[in-house]
Amino acid sequence: MTDTPSSEQLMDALAESRAARRRFLLGASRTGLALGTVALLDACGGSNSGTATPTPTDSSTATPSPTATSVINDQNALNFLINIEYLTAQFYAAATNTPLAASLLTGTGTQGAVTGGHAVTFADPLVAQYARELAADDLAHVGFLRSMLGSAVVAQPAINIDGGASGAFTAAMLGAGVIGSGTFDPYASDENFLLAAYFLTDVAVTAYKGAGLLITNATLLNAVAGIMATEAYHAGLLRTTLYAKGATTPALRTNAGLISNYRDSLDGTTDLDQGITGTATASNITPADANGFAFTRTAGQALNIFYLNHAAVVGGGFFPAGMNGVTRTSAAS
Amino acid sequence: MTDDQQPIDSVMDEAVSERRQFFRTALGAAAVTVAGATALTIGPRAFADTTSDVDYLNFALQLAYLEAQFYNFAAFGTGLPAGQITAGSAPTGTNVAGAATGARQVTFADPLVAQYAAEIAQDKAAHVAWLRGELGTQTSAQPAIDLGTAASGAFSTAMRAAGVISGASATFDPYASDENFLLAAFLFADVGVSALRGAVAVIADATHREVVEGAMITDAHHAAIIRTTLYAKGATTTSLRTNADAISNLRDQLDGTTEDDQGISPTTGSNPVANVIPTYADGTILGRANGGVLNIAYLNSAQVTKGGFFPNGVNGTVTTSSAN
Repeated sequence: MTDTPSSEQLMDALAESRAARRRFLLGASRTGLALGTVALLDACGGSNSGTATPTPTDSSTATPSPTATSVINDQNALNFLINIEYLTAQFYAAATNTPLAASLLTGTGTQGAVTGGHAVTFADPLVAQYARELAADDLAHVGFLRSMLGSAVVAQPAINIDGGASGAFTAAMLGAGVIGSGTFDPYASDENFLLAAYFLTDVAVTAYKGAGLLITNATLLNAVAGIMATEAYHAGLLRTTLYAKGATTPALRTNAGLISNYRDSLDGTTDLDQGITGTATASNITPADANGFAFTRTAGQALNIFYLNHAAVVGGGFFPAGMNGVTRTSAAS
Repeated sequence: MTDDQQPIDSVMDEAVSERRQFFRTALGAAAVTVAGATALTIGPRAFADTTSDVDYLNFALQLAYLEAQFYNFAAFGTGLPAGQITAGSAPTGTNVAGAATGARQVTFADPLVAQYAAEIAQDKAAHVAWLRGELGTQTSAQPAIDLGTAASGAFSTAMRAAGVISGASATFDPYASDENFLLAAFLFADVGVSALRGAVAVIADATHREVVEGAMITDAHHAAIIRTTLYAKGATTTSLRTNADAISNLRDQLDGTTEDDQGISPTTGSNPVANVIPTYADGTILGRANGGVLNIAYLNSAQVTKGGFFPNGVNGTVTTSSAN
């Protein structure tokens, strides 16, 4: 892969994916297959033929794994992801004083406003340079996902990136124990900015990984893989910087660990999160399992964290009115 | 894991991916009929491009051998255990076992860099182990790997071509300093990510896809460690940024005319923007085909089967670099 597809190719791919699924549904209904299972739908993406009716043997072996039920098709997966990008892009845009154009926020569903956020007066020019890079990338992600989704794109939902008493970041950092009382203003210092960005970005990476397992169209999947990798670089940049600064400001490492534990407490009993402190001789910049591979979160698990709620709910935390789109209910974790 | 030890979830995922693969294969047919469908054997691991998954995983293993050996020698002074470099009983394609030579432990000045090296070394060794376990009998052996410091060696050749060092007899020792270690690591860092990006969309098996995504994300963290550290240290040691840029330019020259590599230096102006993350304008990470990956590993822009870090080539079926 030496180039990314054009937006026209992506639109074609999405349209093809939708059409293929519709054709499959028609064929499946003729054969009386029981539907309603995500993995089965996913299994049939890419079919170009209305006669590609699955055999009974196929349907019996295509029992979905229960974890793959969060996102029902490519379009829903992409819309789930753009909600995350709206959040992180607005956060970085506020911090770097580079607001998103209003034309990038429209779409289906109820468009919401951004609560909170203001420019950071960075002390370390390096952190300022990183922040501007992260802002530029996530702005590009919003635009790219919008180009993939076309008229199917959801509007930006209501977003809370506030550090005041009722702000989502304050609630998050209270929950994590980073603060015991009072407020947490992500825009007050380099350190607060880094911790807040870290809170969101690790979740985005795992959410992309989960969504990437459900997307069926190869062109769209390639595009999503490209964004997924960029988000992983973002997370690596933030974690490296927290770790390096943590050598002289140990609270950064401790707080990163507290945030990780809090995220883990929200998304269920499985260990899907790691802080940055490793052993005496090794860092832990990369959150990975025993095989060295990054973690996966289902959409429902990612929503637990964005909503700051381990229960099955449809809003709260960073998305006070919930995400826009079909995928908006957190898991009962 | 081996075929007879698959957990049930994996088997189910596989069944799903078999169906996906069946329909993908069917795209080439004018009409897919029920008769056509039944003519295909759809059983465990029998879908059309099982081979390509194996070939791909073996290719990934070849790159993992290179990186795991480099980081493990640099961090700990020891390479992969002998049991982690042998072939399975039925490797596909080229299979010439070799040794990783010329590397040694770095005496790190900055404990942070030592801690990064140790972390990455452990992740890379884990990747080797997982890939070998998944490939089982089809595992390809480690090929000969040149990690040495001779003037004619791969590192010195690469750094000379990049302009990091000059003169035919000049040498580059990745193990001599933190800075050299970071620049040597940078030479590989983004390459794995760019290769895995392309693989996510073409890998057939659902379990493999999750692993490829996981490996891509892990490798992206590793690359971010290296790039962030070079960038941050480069604020005061400016040669780190200019040398990283020069190495990026070399990779770009080797792998063809398209722009699929970027250095780390920031934009100019009153509000400079870092370039820790190598992306296209759409914010996606730069991608690279397997042939381009081998152009860089072989340090050759032509269509060849060996050279550079792999003096005898890589093992498996994906062994030829692209003609650029």
